[in-house]
Amino acid sequence: MNSLVFLLVRSARNSLLELRRKPAKLLLWVLVLAGIGGIFLLSLFTRQSAAGSLDIVWLKGILFLFILLFVVIAIQKGLANGDVIFDMNDVNLLFVSPVSSRLILMYGIVRMAKMAFLMGFFILFQSNSLSQGFGVGFDAVLLVLLGYMLAVGVLQILSLLIYSLANGKPRRKLAVRMLAVAAFLPIIAYAGVQLIGTSDLLPALENTLRSPLSAWTPVAGWASAGVVSLISGDMGNGFLFFGLLVLSGVLLILYIAWSNPDYYEDVLVATETAFEKKRGLAEGQINSEASSTKKVKVAKTGIGGLGTSTIFYKHLRESFRANRLGLWGVSSIIMVLGTTLFSFFLRGVDGGTLILLQILMWMQIFMIGTGRGLKELYMHYIYLIPESSFRKIVWSNLEIAFKVLVESVAAFGIAGLIMGEPVWLVAAAIVVYTLFSFLLLGINYLSLRWTGADISAGLLIFIYTIMVIVIMLPGLISAIVLGSMIEGIGVLIGLGVLALWELLAALGCFALSKGVLHHLDMPVMRTGK
Amino acid sequence: MIDVRNMTKKYGKLAANDNINLSVGSGELAVLLGPNGAGKSTLIKSVCGLLRFQGAITIDGHENHTVEAKRILGYVPEFPVLYPMLTVSEHLEFIAKAYRLEAWEEKGEALLRRFELDDKKMKLGKELSKGMQQKVSVCCALLPQPKAIIMDEPLVGLDPHGIRELKAVIAKLRDRGCALLVSTHMIESVEEDWDITYIMDKGRIARVCRRTDLAAGQRLEDEYFTITEGKSQEDTP
Repeated sequence: MNSLVFLLVRSARNSLLELRRKPAKLLLWVLVLAGIGGIFLLSLFTRQSAAGSLDIVWLKGILFLFILLFVVIAIQKGLANGDVIFDMNDVNLLFVSPVSSRLILMYGIVRMAKMAFLMGFFILFQSNSLSQGFGVGFDAVLLVLLGYMLAVGVLQILSLLIYSLANGKPRRKLAVRMLAVAAFLPIIAYAGVQLIGTSDLLPALENTLRSPLSAWTPVAGWASAGVVSLISGDMGNGFLFFGLLVLSGVLLILYIAWSNPDYYEDVLVATETAFEKKRGLAEGQINSEASSTKKVKVAKTGIGGLGTSTIFYKHLRESFRANRLGLWGVSSIIMVLGTTLFSFFLRGVDGGTLILLQILMWMQIFMIGTGRGLKELYMHYIYLIPESSFRKIVWSNLEIAFKVLVESVAAFGIAGLIMGEPVWLVAAAIVVYTLFSFLLLGINYLSLRWTGADISAGLLIFIYTIMVIVIMLPGLISAIVLGSMIEGIGVLIGLGVLALWELLAALGCFALSKGVLHHLDMPVMRTGK
Repeated sequence: MIDVRNMTKKYGKLAANDNINLSVGSGELAVLLGPNGAGKSTLIKSVCGLLRFQGAITIDGHENHTVEAKRILGYVPEFPVLYPMLTVSEHLEFIAKAYRLEAWEEKGEALLRRFELDDKKMKLGKELSKGMQQKVSVCCALLPQPKAIIMDEPLVGLDPHGIRELKAVIAKLRDRGCALLVSTHMIESVEEDWDITYIMDKGRIARVCRRTDLAAGQRLEDEYFTITEGKSQEDTP
């Protein structure tokens, strides 16, 4: 036991000491903690108003769907490789050591809980949205974080158990799938009945969320009901549902520990897969498709183009091979579906399209990096192709430009129809969103050119985000001021000014990042491995 | 052909490469030796234009970032990174089209045959083993028939057949007048063919050794240990 406590304590101590040698990392942590502290202090001096807030049942719905996502991931992981609760160094050093396997399991679970806590940090930054949306304070945010941590913790153990029970046993895998569907069948059926009864989506959803069925749905229901009950002051139900989560977690751990002390083999595949993925990232393989086990059928082959245009045609071939929709994959579908669903809530709300535009632009700040153009920078090919640096950058980003344009036409088009917005407003939103993506690409290259990519990925993202805010600010202020000065077509003028600013700023960023391929160190993903 | 003058690469205060001078002529095989962390990969990446540096690096008289330099330069990286969604054939096709090569198909076929990849042409990058990926990486670097080739630990991960073929390819390229700069830990693998060896230690070139500099019976390995550990292998117990 002493060795495991030593490992936990010494690892934590070394992580803290490392901050002394890495001021950038220390600065990031200080800013994160200051941000959380600031939000907390702000919440103390801000009076929460229930007026104009959404009913808290919708918070329950959001939490339910959010945790449901983790339920699906946990079951999929369990049926594939199991969840990762150990590192490769644990496998190499601890598993072969004369320490009880049950104690090692506890050690893994403690470390996993720490990771769940760190992953939940982003929830603390949702304080403002929760306050504005539901009229709740910082205490409610902490409860959401607690519910999230409990649910994710239980799901990670569940994933491990599923793998341990069903690995290599197709019948058991089928049974797990059937059980998973059976657990959610009652609430799906209930929602269906409500939809038929009310003929309206929102009342049907509201009735479903208010029903006991939603609260008693495993994990997603328990966590969402526990959080919302405690926020509403219903301590009995709150403790009941949180207690259920804790109890199920403890029972799952006990079952694994006592029924299968020789679980090493069960966690090995997941640990090795995660290790290989990290090593691949550090070696420059940042395409997620590389670690996917999905079977890919090679039908059409060949790459078009000549010179720099070959990069674009290569991207087309890769994208269409990775999924049938080509450039528009699962993320595009989720974006359009999410926008469609959200636009139902925004029907009749003044400025609904602008709210959607704002949300999608925030998301795009972090989604733009998923394009193949920016990923090319992590591999050597683009640097060595004997063509102009500028042309290589343009052709390598054409794929994401097409993707964004079609995504925005679909998302704003459908949302505009649902909300009954005028065509000019929808068109203006599409232009602003598409040009914003163009600007984000420019800022990405400029931040790489400026830093030379000789910094950690975290700090690079931080600098990029700050640059986005600073560069967008003059455009936003001009758009708001000019837009508010003119009656009637003020919104159109404002969006026009913003689009023009985005275009000019993007061209400026691309001009300033000229020769970026010659002035940066080929970026490397530092994974700590 | 490959010329490095007063080249320094720093990461913060640490000089990974400190005032390096190196040159490889046409038809020469230069070997870069050194212990782990000596700065070999940093030097190679800088020569290929993947890292910023102070000093001057030219390929056939052209600054290494120019299109002219890139056209005659081939690079085999330390870790083979392929596109997971492209087949082996498509990797060669991508290089051929990006480099505007003409009549490349036969050369491509010959390379794939040589490295026993001809039956893997339709395999995706992600479906290949590390060794296979390394072979594809070598084929991609050789397809444009570069005049200067830089290889970073090219033999790591290859099977015996791959090692034999690559050694033969290296010897053939040298005979054809190609300039080769090869970094390796496997000293015995280059013992037969090397012309000049740069032994690196702590970011500096500690010794430049020409084949003619060695006394009869003296091996490159002995020279290496003399420089890096201050004694030849024969002296070790």
